[in-house]
Formats: sequence, structure tokens, C-alpha cells
Amino acid sequence: MNRLNPSAYNHAHLLLTLVLCASSFTLFTPLQTWILILVGCAGIIRISLFLNWQKHQISVRTINLLAILSAIVLATFGWQLGLLLGMLNLLALACSLKLMLLANRRDYFQLIGIQFFLIGTGLVFNQSILFSLLYGMLTLMLLLSLAFHISPSTSWRAQTMRIAKMSLQALPLCLMLFLIIPKLGPMWQMPVGKGSETGLSDKVTPGDLAQLARSSELAFRVSFEQQVPAMNQRYWRALVLEEFDGKTWQTAPYRDTLRRRYQRTNNRFNPAVSGPRIDYQVLSEPSQKPWLFGLDVAISHDSKIWQGREYQLLSRFPLQSGIAYKVSSYTQSPLLPDIEVLDRRLNLQLPESGNPRTRQWVKALREQHKTEGELIKAVSEYFIQQDFRYTLNPNPMPVDPVDQFLFEEQAGFCAHYAGAMTYALRLAGIPARMVTGYLGGEMRGDAYMSIYQYDAHAWVEWLSEDGWKRLDPTALVSPLRLDFGLQQAVAYEDSFLADSPLRRLQQFAWVNEFRMLLDDMDYLWSKWILGFNRDNQEDVLKALLGELSTLRLTIAGLALVAITAILLALYHYKHWLVLAKKTPAYYYARSLKLLDDNGITRPHWMGPEDFSKQVQQSMSTDISHIFEHITGCYLQSCYARGGNTKTQGLNQRMRTLLNQLKQGLKKKKSSVRDAQRIDNIS
Amino acid sequence: MQTQIQQAVSQISHVILGKEQEIKLALTCLVAGGHLLIEDLPGMGKTTLSNALATVFGLGFSRIQFTSDLLPADMLGVNIFDSQRQAFSFHPGPLFQQVVLADEINRASPKTQSALLEAMEEHQVSLDGETHELPSPFFVIGTQNPQHQAGTYPLPESQLDRFLMRIQLGYPNWQAEKDMLKQPRQKDVRPLSPVISPAALLELQQHLDEVHASDSIIDYILRLVTFSRESEHFPNALSPRASKALLQSARSWAMIDDRDYLIPEDVQAVLPAVAEHRLRSTLTDHPTQTSLSQLLLEQVDPLAA
Repeated sequence: MNRLNPSAYNHAHLLLTLVLCASSFTLFTPLQTWILILVGCAGIIRISLFLNWQKHQISVRTINLLAILSAIVLATFGWQLGLLLGMLNLLALACSLKLMLLANRRDYFQLIGIQFFLIGTGLVFNQSILFSLLYGMLTLMLLLSLAFHISPSTSWRAQTMRIAKMSLQALPLCLMLFLIIPKLGPMWQMPVGKGSETGLSDKVTPGDLAQLARSSELAFRVSFEQQVPAMNQRYWRALVLEEFDGKTWQTAPYRDTLRRRYQRTNNRFNPAVSGPRIDYQVLSEPSQKPWLFGLDVAISHDSKIWQGREYQLLSRFPLQSGIAYKVSSYTQSPLLPDIEVLDRRLNLQLPESGNPRTRQWVKALREQHKTEGELIKAVSEYFIQQDFRYTLNPNPMPVDPVDQFLFEEQAGFCAHYAGAMTYALRLAGIPARMVTGYLGGEMRGDAYMSIYQYDAHAWVEWLSEDGWKRLDPTALVSPLRLDFGLQQAVAYEDSFLADSPLRRLQQFAWVNEFRMLLDDMDYLWSKWILGFNRDNQEDVLKALLGELSTLRLTIAGLALVAITAILLALYHYKHWLVLAKKTPAYYYARSLKLLDDNGITRPHWMGPEDFSKQVQQSMSTDISHIFEHITGCYLQSCYARGGNTKTQGLNQRMRTLLNQLKQGLKKKKSSVRDAQRIDNIS
Repeated sequence: MQTQIQQAVSQISHVILGKEQEIKLALTCLVAGGHLLIEDLPGMGKTTLSNALATVFGLGFSRIQFTSDLLPADMLGVNIFDSQRQAFSFHPGPLFQQVVLADEINRASPKTQSALLEAMEEHQVSLDGETHELPSPFFVIGTQNPQHQAGTYPLPESQLDRFLMRIQLGYPNWQAEKDMLKQPRQKDVRPLSPVISPAALLELQQHLDEVHASDSIIDYILRLVTFSRESEHFPNALSPRASKALLQSARSWAMIDDRDYLIPEDVQAVLPAVAEHRLRSTLTDHPTQTSLSQLLLEQVDPLAA
């Protein structure tokens, strides 16, 4: 059955369609491609209906068939998506089908409701300032669509003004809610989106870090409270990799088991620290991973942060959104092993075979140098003496990578150096491990420091008698990397951000200026909007109210309520004045209320005269007589010719009648009570 | 005037027992200048009622029995060649009467139906290029059997709309039917006498607009029709013509009650007769027990400011 086209030149439907398409396409990572194509089709169908190119809706049968097919496809491929992504895909699919079908008011309102929800979901996945602006705009467009639905013939200009006015009215409330409503953590575990992962991984094959270093994405920001440590001291620890299989370094599985056990019993690690302290706040970007960043020895008392036994910081949940936390770093404090036996055992682990040349080489070295210090020095010397190169484009080394790196290629990225060195130390019987994280960071004025993915770094730690000691083989090969950053270190081969369009633009000063400006805005956005947590909330309240006490908070809350009430009263008082004005309708309503209290309710569809007759049947004559008069007056004023000109006299009469009714009813009540009392006595 | 109408009601009540409300509605329709559709099973007194109405107002009366082979000419009249005058002369058909009972209207072919409905709307008949005025007042009482009976052409919605009101007589109650059976046979056809003159009826119709409809009452009517348009319970919504009909009938009802202004009860009294046939769908079989107009009444508060 072909149905007529309800969307022709219907602005409400057009706006809804645009919003649906836009919000779905911003979700292109979590949504499956074929669903996006369906959404696109639905959008095209709706737009061609709007332009009246196509006169008839698609038949319900076609859509049902499509729905069944899509449901089968989604059921087949969607089950491995996990609950949230699966539901989101299902929702987008249902939306697109409903949009094709959209015919009556009910469909429309359903779609509007779901749209608001989809926009909310969008904010789970995209939180940058531009996306937030986009979502804000989409919300306004939805409101505009609703406005067009209600009054289709009003002009665009008037509708826009109306929506703008209403949104402005909502703004103070929105601000208040933002400042006052407590910030809750996510109530569900978010599934990890595919393909959106950037940042460090808990498995490192040396070539990986070089890949990561091609990305100019932001990793995190730091704002220091005191002086900023020197560039070559800013080793931001993220992960400690202790397991090596000959090619790949990864976190030791036993450490994870151990950590989970500690977390279950809430046994927190409190390392003994001493010496000078640096305080700073870290604003991490969403990374879908739990690890966080800090300078050694980093201590955080934030309840969201878990203090790792290997001196790293972890979040309790993978970072779906940015997180802000405060850290104190004791830079001179030693990194003592938590359980020394365990550390030793884990960090002497070696693959059984592979890399034979390295094994031989270390064996020879070990025979020459008996002490740990000498051996380390000897290995370091090898790096310095041989012609090693620091490069962003290392050749792949598939077989015996350490051998290949040390004796053939002699060119690699920091992970190559760190990996080879750790391996060599372990072969020599010195407990050693690889640490990954970031090195350096770019200071933006005095305000904050940005650390990008290309600052990713790997270094070595070995266990000496007074704790773990940092050793950075990269520094031997490329001192520039430490002191001036990656860009300078690889300047000779011109490979820094070689694929990025940004690099070409960096030649223009204004582009840089603009990028910095955007960075600043993004920083403020992350710090004050996304990172606005309970601590900030308390700070703001403290700044406003002084010391926080229950009394003050109560007073402030009541004052807010009072101010709101006063503003509302100011806005509405004219309307209220009219209501309070005593009209015959008012007296009639009062008398209805009185009767209602006495058990006679007017069915809401009944006319006044019929109700008067009903009262006559159920009430004594004196009361029903009075009410009949009241009804008569009301009919006179409301319906008779010139009724509203003689209200003055009618009001007078109705007031008297109402009082009579009140007394009559009271008398009746008391007589009933008397009768009951007599009954009780007898 | 009030007394005359009361007399008319009581006169007709002697003929059709226990149906005061329906008789009053039929009179309302006549005073409002609309046409009346009576829908009921055979033998309920449809013909008797229309006959009585015509007699009480002293109006000319004719009855057309609709059958499936009735042609428009049988109803409107024909031009016949007059050999003496060497010209065609018009011989008016039974439609040229003040009260026309179109009996079993849904048994006629659609062609005949539409000829009748056109005459009802235009108050005139066009034949061979000549226009013939119908008498005034002109009042058609259509009767129809419920549509599920065999051999009927249901009237489409657009034509049902031409009838101002539709009433159902229904079975008489126990007492009324008992009285009817006890009546001697000759009293059954007791001759009625005219109570109101046609001139008085025309005057009544002209004064109809003087019944005051306040803003409150017009708002109430608007709320009713708007509700019928927005709710999903009704197969057809009430058109602006329906809201006009509602106001007109309510005025007529108020006038019969001898009141010069409208109150919500007037609207409520005429609403079932005015709205029911416009709300329901002709396609579906409509069970008589669920009344759409009742549903509509119960959803709208007459007092809401």
C-alpha cells in the first residue's frame, strides 16, 4: 500500500532527518558501516520526500522485510560487539528504519526522543570542544524541529528566535546543575571501541613505539604548581614490561594477578618517600587504557587512582573520558622493590633460545667484567663506540631481533635500545626491565605542558642494592632526544611527523599560532568542563562560600531556591494576578471544590446544569438549592448575552452564596458527626 | 412559541410512545433547517415519525420509497411535451413537497442518491437546463436500514455529512410498548392536527441566529472538534462543517428550551445526533454499543478555561 507523503515541505521532518544523519555519522567508530549506509539511505529518502521528488512513502511491507534482514545481519555480526555497542548499533538501525517509515505524530515523537538519547551517547564517544559544540547545535536543531512540528507555518526566523530565547532561559539552570550536581562515575563498563586505540600498549615489539611516535595526538597535559623539572628529567612512567619472549616485551601476567588480588582486598601500596617534592595535576586524554602517567616516585592520594607496586599509576577503569588527578612526585626518592625476591625472579626471566650472537657476546663481556657497574659500562660503551643511529624508520627485524639490531642494523628507535640493553643485562644476570612512557613535553607559556604521542619513550631499569635505577641507552646514542625532543633528534633524517599534513603547515607562523590557540582552548575545556570533578566542585564552592559547613551549604541552597522562586514570581506575577481576580468562574470553581471535599465530584465532562441536577439528587434541598443558584449565576456570567458586563453584581451574589454553601456543608458535617457520636454512645 | 413546540412534542408522543428525546431532536433538526437521517431496523416507527412531523407543522408531505431501480426522474419530475401548447411542460415529481420522506435511502442506486442529496444541498432542481426552486421550508427525512442488511448501497461519508443529524429510534421500553399494544386499533391512526404554522416555523428559523453563543461555548465546541482531530480513537475527524452544524443544532435546541443563550448542555444534547455519523467510518461494521460521540463527550471538559 502506498501512503501519501507526510514529509513534503515539512521542516520538522527535514530537521529531524538532518540531525539523525549528523549524529549517526559522528558515531562512525562505534557504528558498523552498513548501518551508516542505511542511515544515509533513510536520509536521502526523507529528503527526496521533503522536496516532493518522490510522492509516496515506502510501503510498510518493504520496510518490514528490510528490518528482518537487518536484524538477521546484526544478530549474526553484532553479537561480538558487546552490550553497549550492540545496543547502540541496534538503536541506530531502528532509527534509520523508523525514519524511512515516519508517518504520524507518534513515530515523530519517538524519533525525537531517541535522537536526544543518541546525542547523549555521542558525548560518551566524542568529548572534544568541537564535538561538544556540534552536539549542542544538533540539540538546538532538534528543538527547532519540535517547534516546527507544533507550529508549522511560523517563519524560520521567528522559530529560531523562539528556540534561542528558550535555550537562554535554560542556561542558568544548566550552569547551576553543572556546578551543584555531584559528579558520578560511569555506571557501566564501557566496551573498548575497535581501531580507536592510540597510545601505549602493554605489549611492545620495538618497532611499535616508532609507529606511535608518528602520531601528533595529545597524550596528556600537566600543570605544575611549582618549578618545572628539566626536559631530560621528565621521564613519565606509564608501564613496566617484565616479560620477554625473544621479540616482544609485555607486562608480566603474574603482576596483573597480584594486582587484582591487592585491589580486591583494597591493600594499597604506600611506598616510603623522602626528599624534595613536586606537585602537579595531570589531565589525561581518553585512551581506553587504564594506565596513567607520573614522574618517579609518583604518589597520588586520589581514590580513583591505584598505586602500582612497580611505581606506576593506574586508573581503576579504562579511560573512556579524560581524567584529572593530582600527583606528588618525590624525585630523589629511591625506587625500592616491594618484594625483592619476586622482582629478582621476574626480571631475570629469559626466553630459552634465540638471539645466539647476543648470548655469546654477553657471555664474553661477563667474563671480562665481574661487577655490575663495570658490565653496564661495557654495554654502554658498545653503543657509543659502534656507529648506532637513532631513527624513526627502523628496518623490520623479524628473526632474532636483538642480534639483528646489535650487530647488523645498528639503527633503531628507543624501544630497540631499551629492549636490547635489558636483554643483555638479564643475560649477564642483572635483574632489569623495560619501562615505557613519555619523555619530555612541550611547555605552553607558564600554564601547562602538553605531552604528545610522539613523546613516547622506552628506557631501562636495573635492580641495584639501593633500588631500581634508571638507565637510558637512547641518551648514549642520541643526547638530542633527551634535551631537545624527538624533532631535533631525528632532524638529520627529516622523518619527524613525515606523514602528517601538520608538518607542512608548521612553516607558517600563523598556523602555529592558531594551533596553539586551539590547544589553549582545548586545555581549558578539558580542565574546567571535562575534568570538572568533585575536587573542583569543592574548590568552586569554597571560593564562593568560604569554609564549607553544613549550615552554609544549607543556606546557600535555600538562597538559590529562593532566588529562583523570586525570579519565577517576577516572571509570572501578571498571570497570577489574573487568576487571583475573583470572577464568577472562580467562585464556581470554589464551590465545586467544596462539594468535591464533601464527596460529590463533578465528572470532568459534565456540564454545569446537569451537575446541579446531580447535586439535587444526592444532597439535601437547602444545599442543592444554594448550589443551583450558584450554577445559575455562573451560567449567566459565562454563557448569557452580555454576561461578562454585569460581573460586579454577580460576584457579590456568588460570594454570599458561596459562604452559605460553606456553612450549610459544615452544618451537615457536624450533624453527621453528632449522629455518629450518638450511635457510638448507644 | 415554547408552548407550541411543547404541544408538538406531546402530539407526536401520542403517536410514537416513549421517545420524547428523539422527537425533540427531530424537531431541533427541522427548526435548525437541516435534514434528518433516521437509521433503524424496519418497524421502529420511522415513517410514522416523519408523517407526524409533517402533519404537526401543517406542511405538505410526500414519501418516496427508494428501491434499487428508482431513477432520478422518478423523484425529481419530468418534462412532458404538451401537444396543445406545442411546448414541454414540467411535471414536478414527489420531491417538490415541504417534507419529503426518503424511505430506505440506502437501497437506491448511488446515482439516485446523489440526485437527492444535491437537491437537499441546493434547495433547487435543475432539469434540461431549467432550474426549479424547491418549496420552503424544505425538509428531507432520510431513513436507512443498518448497512449490514442485504441489497444496500451505503451512503459515503461525504453524503452523510449533508444530513444535519442522524438519530436512532431504538426499541421502545417495556411500558411504552405495553401502552402501544393496549391502544385500540383505530386510535393507532389517530389524526393529528397542525400546531405550528409553516410561517411560524420559518420565523423560528430566522430567529435562530439571535440565540447567544458566548466565547466559552464556542471554545467548548472547538475543543470538541479539535479533540476529535487529534485523538486516534476516531476514524473520521469532525470537519468545520460539522462544527458549524453543532453550533446551529445547539442553538435550535436552546431555542426549543426557550433560552436565548447556549449552555454546554445544549451542545451535549445534540452532539450524539450531530457527530456520530460523521465520526465513524462507513467501511467498518459499527457495533452500536460503543458510541464514538459519547467517547468524545467524556473526554472534553466543558468548563476548562
